[in-house]
Amino acid sequence: MHLDLNSCFATIEQQANPKLRGKPIAVAAYAAPSGCIIAPSVEAKDQGVKVGMRVKEGKLLCPNLIVLTPDPWKYRNIHIKFRHLLEEYTDHVVPKSIDEFVLDLEGCPSFSKGMVIVAKEIKERIKKEVGEWLRVSIGIGPNRFLAKLGAGLHNPDGLDVIDAGNVKKIYGHFPLMSICGIKTNNVARLNQYGIFTTLDFYQAPVWKLKAAFASIVGYYWYVRLHGWEIDDVEFGRGSFGNSYALPDIRSTPEELFPLLMKLVEKSGSRMRKNGYRARGVHLSILYRDGCHWHRGVTVSEYLFDTRDMYKVAYRILCMSPYHTPVANVAVSCFSLEKSLYTQEHLFSDMEKKARLAKALDAINDKWGDFVITPGRMMGLQEKIVDRVAFGNIKEFEDMVLASKGVAFKGYPCRQTGLRSQFFYTCFIPKSCFWT
Amino acid sequence: MIQKIQAPISVALVFNHKTREVKPVKVLWEGRLYRITRIGLHHTVRQGRTLLHVFSVESESLFFRLVLNTELLSWTVEEIADGESN
Repeated sequence: MHLDLNSCFATIEQQANPKLRGKPIAVAAYAAPSGCIIAPSVEAKDQGVKVGMRVKEGKLLCPNLIVLTPDPWKYRNIHIKFRHLLEEYTDHVVPKSIDEFVLDLEGCPSFSKGMVIVAKEIKERIKKEVGEWLRVSIGIGPNRFLAKLGAGLHNPDGLDVIDAGNVKKIYGHFPLMSICGIKTNNVARLNQYGIFTTLDFYQAPVWKLKAAFASIVGYYWYVRLHGWEIDDVEFGRGSFGNSYALPDIRSTPEELFPLLMKLVEKSGSRMRKNGYRARGVHLSILYRDGCHWHRGVTVSEYLFDTRDMYKVAYRILCMSPYHTPVANVAVSCFSLEKSLYTQEHLFSDMEKKARLAKALDAINDKWGDFVITPGRMMGLQEKIVDRVAFGNIKEFEDMVLASKGVAFKGYPCRQTGLRSQFFYTCFIPKSCFWT
Repeated sequence: MIQKIQAPISVALVFNHKTREVKPVKVLWEGRLYRITRIGLHHTVRQGRTLLHVFSVESESLFFRLVLNTELLSWTVEEIADGESN
């Protein structure tokens, strides 16, 4: 079962402020005319406002559009409430993003009620227990791909089942590019092998798909389209990063150093809080003329201290050959490892560094971010605002479990205040309804 | 129109021990008493270790975003709106 909260951010804002209900609203990254719309409400979508439009474009289509800035903690709280509700039906709940969940009810007592009945019950309970304005679209299918396809069939407030009886008819309604995971380049690959429609894609033999994708991906698609589960893979944490879109003109490394420090500090503290250390730092710069430059550096020793990570990021920034106005800076640390022990060095006291980093993080945790500020950041006016990441929200999982009274990875248990190293894994059994 | 402010506000809060519901029922803002007709949403935010309770509430004419600081036990109004665009 795939569950998708319709127009998530906008709907939650309308739930919070009843005076906005029924009106065209849009949540934009910034309320300025050049701000990017990230979530138009259903009413705004009806007037042609789309995700990715600028605020000024949205207002041209809909002059009485009400524009709001995001309130991440509101959305996170709703996500946690959804999660708690869904976990009453099955313990195999996988959040795919802040507003999407995948449930596997196989083997659970609720499965015997019937999936459609459970889905209707979930919708009713969401309205009653979470918010009466919140609407979800639910798709039911033999695997995650088809369940997601079903959830997108009717918006808002849809409930659709895809099974062996109607799958061909549903594929007939979807153009190839509207399939999640198939865009321009993949369409071109498939077209080369005479696959022009989703039905062609479904009916193509395995050898043709493997040839079209020139890899095992073609086999995965065959399996996926025929209702077998292939996507129940849990990926580990790959990196921690932060980015910032600059509101003013800055070109030289000297002008960017304070901002770089702040981004490194944010990424570093999140990495440490989750119990990791990194061997690589990656810097990505998007320039205002549309050009993009990026470089990643892997070092021999594990990094966990902000100062060490900043030294690497500083060297990378100095390598940049371009000194033109910058639009966006992104820093991430990769090649992660769980920091189970610290290797002592001949020329530096690693234990002392670790204790200092821990103390600084504890002070910032207690009193607020950047209460202790690195000297390099002095004079930096920007506040790098809190935003909800697109897609998977791995470190948010820890907070969800902490809110249930389970101490997890550095987040204290709400009831006891204890922290623990308990690890939670999600297992989704493979299943298929037809061969 | 949406107005973002940070100002202290007087709030009357009621706790019902049978339903275990907590809700603000009245606010006194700029010398005027507003009766809360609906609570849109209640959520929590952490600033450091301080827990803030945020109540998004509606009266007849206005929307209020009320924040209770549990460390200081004080109420602040962060946003007032009338439901129209700026």
